[in-house]
Amino acid sequence: MKIGIPVLDELIGEIPLGKVITYYIDPEVEGDVFSMQTLYSNLEKYKCVFITSSMSPSSIRARFREFGWNVDESENFSILDAYSGYIGDISDERYIVRDPSNLDEMDKVVSKAIEENDLIVFGSLSTLIDMIGEEILDYVERWNKYARINDSVILYNFVAWPYDSRIVDTIKDLSNAVIEVGGIYHRVILGQYYGILKVDWKEVKGKAVLFKLVKPGGIKAYIPKILVTGPYNAGKSTFVHAISCRAVSVDRLGTTVALDHGHVEYKRFSIDVFGTPGQERFDPILRILGGEALGVILIIDSTKPEDFPRAKQMLEATTKFGLPYVVAANKRDLPNALGVDEIRKRLTVPKEVPIVPCSAVKKEGVFDVLDALLNLLIGG
Amino acid sequence: MKFMMIVMNTMNVEKGKNLMVIGPPLVGKDLFVKEILKNEVKKGSGGIYVTTKDTAEEIIKEFEGIDIKIIDCVSKIAIPDVSDDTNIKRVSSPIDLTGISVGISRFLEEYIKSGKDSVVIVFDSLSNLLMYSNLQAVFRFLHVLTTRIRVCGAKAFYIVEEGMHDDRTVITLKQIFDGVIEVKEEDNKKYYRIITPKEKTDWIEFLLGVS
Repeated sequence: MKIGIPVLDELIGEIPLGKVITYYIDPEVEGDVFSMQTLYSNLEKYKCVFITSSMSPSSIRARFREFGWNVDESENFSILDAYSGYIGDISDERYIVRDPSNLDEMDKVVSKAIEENDLIVFGSLSTLIDMIGEEILDYVERWNKYARINDSVILYNFVAWPYDSRIVDTIKDLSNAVIEVGGIYHRVILGQYYGILKVDWKEVKGKAVLFKLVKPGGIKAYIPKILVTGPYNAGKSTFVHAISCRAVSVDRLGTTVALDHGHVEYKRFSIDVFGTPGQERFDPILRILGGEALGVILIIDSTKPEDFPRAKQMLEATTKFGLPYVVAANKRDLPNALGVDEIRKRLTVPKEVPIVPCSAVKKEGVFDVLDALLNLLIGG
Repeated sequence: MKFMMIVMNTMNVEKGKNLMVIGPPLVGKDLFVKEILKNEVKKGSGGIYVTTKDTAEEIIKEFEGIDIKIIDCVSKIAIPDVSDDTNIKRVSSPIDLTGISVGISRFLEEYIKSGKDSVVIVFDSLSNLLMYSNLQAVFRFLHVLTTRIRVCGAKAFYIVEEGMHDDRTVITLKQIFDGVIEVKEEDNKKYYRIITPKEKTDWIEFLLGVS
């Protein structure tokens, strides 16, 4: 069986039978698609059941269809309906829990579904906890054991509302693998990512992957972009080269005429960095990169306050797109470099915007700049 | 004219605030907040309406061409295949708190990225949400939502039906908000007052349907 998600497939490989996987989902991120995509990826070979407790079966089928996945074409697909009984509706699904608040009935029907299927997807474990209470976790433990005996795989969607940490820890402990689906925020959500928090059948180095949802199609991974901008000769190209594991610049007479491009592998992220030569080219680039730009690094020459007004103009363009930014106070090693407080005053940037001194030439402080931006986005 | 003036002069609700709007059934709480939303959108704010009672189409009709975004928790119960569009996100049912949360977050993102400085959200109503989910689940949902409103500097109004919930429920809900707007009717006249930790206004009369 496979997870069916880009990048994760290569990282965690084949899912051994009997394992329990939890998608641990930020409440503001459309993360239900992950378990749906895993189910659909395995539907040809395996019998799969989707347990619904927060949507009607017809809404579940419509949700699959949104992504171009016609699950009803497969005889391997069935639904365990733990929703209709809750709202007093009738159901003609293969598995029905008439009274979802009755744990004994729920247990019987879920156990039968585990017995008869290879992949069991809980559409929302959090809704079950909300409806029934945390005693359902005892049953989760029992279902997991039963799945192990039956060589079935269980997949839980767990929405990370602010539950008691005891509940969250129990769910993580009861899972063989935990995949986090989270959001990158700056006032509002700027990007969505997924990453592995835990896998017990393979040695995996933590990695975060940014994604978009495509309809039809599902989860599409992409490489986030960070833009590096600043006045002429502030050291943008040098900075891009200093933080990148590989980088190219399109130069003419020693200055950048088109674009710098670098690729950074840092912490759990793979990031593309684009250096842009001037403000007039900035807006189109932001538009082209669309939602994939995560933030902006403004490079200034700490020894040239006369260029600060131009730097400020560039910042206006970034804030127009609602992107977070940090200021890299380059050339800090030169004798007449201004201090951070003086730069903040002259540039009039708010106190919550980090100004980080660095020397791109000496590769000093450049990763502190990147850290400051990542801190703004994901809290480190 | 009177209504509009009152709203404009006293509704200087700061950005990032979450307010409960409470009053007896049929007193016109929804019309009251709709009027606030209409005024704010006319002044340039973004507007989001979360409806657990009416369909998106009914809300659009009421807003008479004023551009807002709607989270519709009703239509999909009857027609599961009904689709979303750029201004309407339909959630499977009021139980689907994640769907509501994701929808609000997406619309806020669109407004902020398009350069809107302020966004007003109306939640109509929390009482309906509490018919489908228990208080703890709704409280956790509100904890996430009110934090997002604070962080992104929007303003939100949440309608609660007076008399529909026990005291414990109302007190628990009040904890999470920055203030309460109480609405009442006496001698065929409608009044509201605002209670926040900083101030408690007198009862102020308002008229509905006059603009």
